[in-house]
Amino acid sequence: MMDLLEAISPQISPYTLWVLVLICLPLVSFISALVFKKNAPTLTTFITGLNLFVAIYLSFLFWNEPVLIRGNWFQIGETHLTYSFYIDRIALIMGVVVNFVALLVHVFSTEYMRIDNRKNAYFAYLGLFLFSMMGIILFNDLLFIFIFWELVGFCSYLLIGFWFEKKSASIAANKAFILNRIGDLGFITGLMILFTQFNTLDLSAIKSFMALSEIEDGNWVVTFSQNGSETINRLDGRWLSAAGIALFCGAVGKSAQFPLQIWLPDAMEGPTPVSALIHAATMVAAGVFFLGRIFVILDAQALEVVAIVGAVTAFMAAIAALSQFDIKKVLAYSTISQLGYMVLAMGVGAYSAGLFHLITHAFFKAGLFLSAGIIIHQLHHLESEKHKFDPQDMRVMGGLRKKMPWTFFAFTLCALALAGLPGFSGFLSKDAILLNLAVWSDIKGGGFYIPEVLAFMTVVLTAFYTFRMMFLVFYGEFRLEGITGDLNLGKKLKEGNLWLTIPAVIFAILSISFVFGTTLNAEDTWVLKSISTPIYIVPIAYAAQSLVDVPHETFEALHATVNTVSILLALAGLVIAYMSYKPGAKLERQFIERREPIGVLGQVSFYHWYQNSLYEKIILRGILSLSKRVAWFDQHVIDGIVNGISKLTVVLAYLVKWFDLYVIDGMVNLTASTVGKVGQMTRNMQSGNVQTQILITFVFIITLILLLVL
Amino acid sequence: MQLNLILLLGALLFSAGLFVVLTKKNAIMVLIGIELMLNAANLNLVAFSRFDPQALQGQIFSLFVITLAAAEAAIALAIVVKVYRYFNTTDLDQINELKG
Repeated sequence: MMDLLEAISPQISPYTLWVLVLICLPLVSFISALVFKKNAPTLTTFITGLNLFVAIYLSFLFWNEPVLIRGNWFQIGETHLTYSFYIDRIALIMGVVVNFVALLVHVFSTEYMRIDNRKNAYFAYLGLFLFSMMGIILFNDLLFIFIFWELVGFCSYLLIGFWFEKKSASIAANKAFILNRIGDLGFITGLMILFTQFNTLDLSAIKSFMALSEIEDGNWVVTFSQNGSETINRLDGRWLSAAGIALFCGAVGKSAQFPLQIWLPDAMEGPTPVSALIHAATMVAAGVFFLGRIFVILDAQALEVVAIVGAVTAFMAAIAALSQFDIKKVLAYSTISQLGYMVLAMGVGAYSAGLFHLITHAFFKAGLFLSAGIIIHQLHHLESEKHKFDPQDMRVMGGLRKKMPWTFFAFTLCALALAGLPGFSGFLSKDAILLNLAVWSDIKGGGFYIPEVLAFMTVVLTAFYTFRMMFLVFYGEFRLEGITGDLNLGKKLKEGNLWLTIPAVIFAILSISFVFGTTLNAEDTWVLKSISTPIYIVPIAYAAQSLVDVPHETFEALHATVNTVSILLALAGLVIAYMSYKPGAKLERQFIERREPIGVLGQVSFYHWYQNSLYEKIILRGILSLSKRVAWFDQHVIDGIVNGISKLTVVLAYLVKWFDLYVIDGMVNLTASTVGKVGQMTRNMQSGNVQTQILITFVFIITLILLLVL
Repeated sequence: MQLNLILLLGALLFSAGLFVVLTKKNAIMVLIGIELMLNAANLNLVAFSRFDPQALQGQIFSLFVITLAAAEAAIALAIVVKVYRYFNTTDLDQINELKG
């Protein structure tokens, strides 16, 4: 039997200060950007670089030995709340990746936001975001993770709505915030369930208690001692699954999973470097990272939900990405789709593969966003009073390959990684996910082949939309000239300067597979070698079949097939994209004239399965009519009661006033007038004549003496 | 000599003083009346002392009263002068500032 206080006893490490530095440096950057307005870009970039070095230093320190730091935060009665940091390999990798992406995005933003009036606020928000993100990564206490979880959501809100003077941007910011709140409701529910059962929110303590908990007669029982007495917490076994699913809801909101994913495409209203940092590489991946943190306490049912949601999201978003006009929208849907892969990986138990995809995706998607950012930035320069156009619309692009060679280079490498072609990082991580998924489906059988089918179909779709985007943006004619009729625009279009291209090219280079190992087998990459999938610690009756227990031969047998199929599917996507969108193809020629896609499938894709309209038509309308009714109730019933009470009070006040006026005042006036009258009667005695007074005195003294004597 | 006679004289003298105090219009005359009343009291003190076998308390006390009367006369006259300067009269009927 374990003691609760022992399980959450303080743990000290000599390196606590370094961990705090890693978290707090971005906060310094936030404050300094607000204080030193003019130098904000340089200062924050410098501090972020410094933080990257701290992260790397800590990686060297803690790589082989994960460290747990814990302390008491406060205590109410018998309830102890702690703060704790757990720095293991995935936290370290995430720390380095996040800081690295942030650094490059800072550099990129320095040029991208050069002429913005509020750029110091922009860099301040980036600092605040990085601070919150480091909090999520390093803290090991669910309450603290939740606090920082909310903070990243808030930063995302600030940055999506950075150009809040645009109506659509402020609406998008609100939408992101509200949908995240819905997910966070689940998060809090999960926290409450776990706290009820374990009396602590410290993740390591929860894990050790979880390992000791048992299922007895369908009840989930955990026994521990507290202050020498034995405590037995007993909940219905279904709460165990509920806790996992509830915590997953938080990840659904943050990582843009079905059914809350619709905020992410709208989030593209924010500046493009922000999309690269927050809405592609780091914050949206926080949900997956969090799933990794709570991976071992998820039971079989929760994991099934995770896997199905992930697969559905990946497929839906990939379909939606097929027909978008806006380059950032394509990237946004592709991000949702890739996040779906990661969540799916977590769901099937491919912990390390999911985290690996998180890392590779962070690099190639950030690269894609930055390249798209360069294109948007350069096209934006062509905009003038005479020629108004949307610089994000792929209909105005085309033929940019020759004009922007470096951007083309970066974009191509990242796109190849996204499509999952061999030789690029995306191939390795996606391959690892697909392999694990195939094994999982074989074990589960039946309906669980559906996620596998969806995931493999998504491979084709991913390759298709990626290369469609490539062909539309970089090949063929520069369409803007045709649209505006100004043939000089093409000559004016220039490659972005070094501030813009260098970060994009660095990301492109990191998207090549040799960064992770010179191999075509994901198993041999250093990431998968250094992160091992942990074993579930939930009670046996509820635990899922762990992929760690599956013999290696099963993987070996499927590996070649999965590899071949995924490569062939990706190539098929590439070929289809080439056939339909190569320069001069029928679809490519029609594309420019099209206002919206034709046909039912095109419409479903373009409007993302009408999910947005569905929410607006049913849920939003329901909420609005409900709030109208509540407003009516408030106006007529509640206000009626309040008004009635106020009227009653007024009547009562009149009564009291009458009583006061005639009874109370009457008594007071009576006293006063009586005293006055007596005064009037006796005033004659005060004649002011000395002799009269002496006479009266004399008479009274004589009377007094006589009275005393007689 | 009989004590009663002396006390009677004192009473007469006091009554005369009181009469002067109450009837005269001039403030100085009122002061004179007060002096008479003080002397009536002195007379009584001395008379009682005459029949006191032990000590001269009455005489001593009357000496104090005489001293006091002198001081009182000095101060009172000064006040009368001030009153005259202020009201331009010493007629007590006209000095009735305290009339209610």
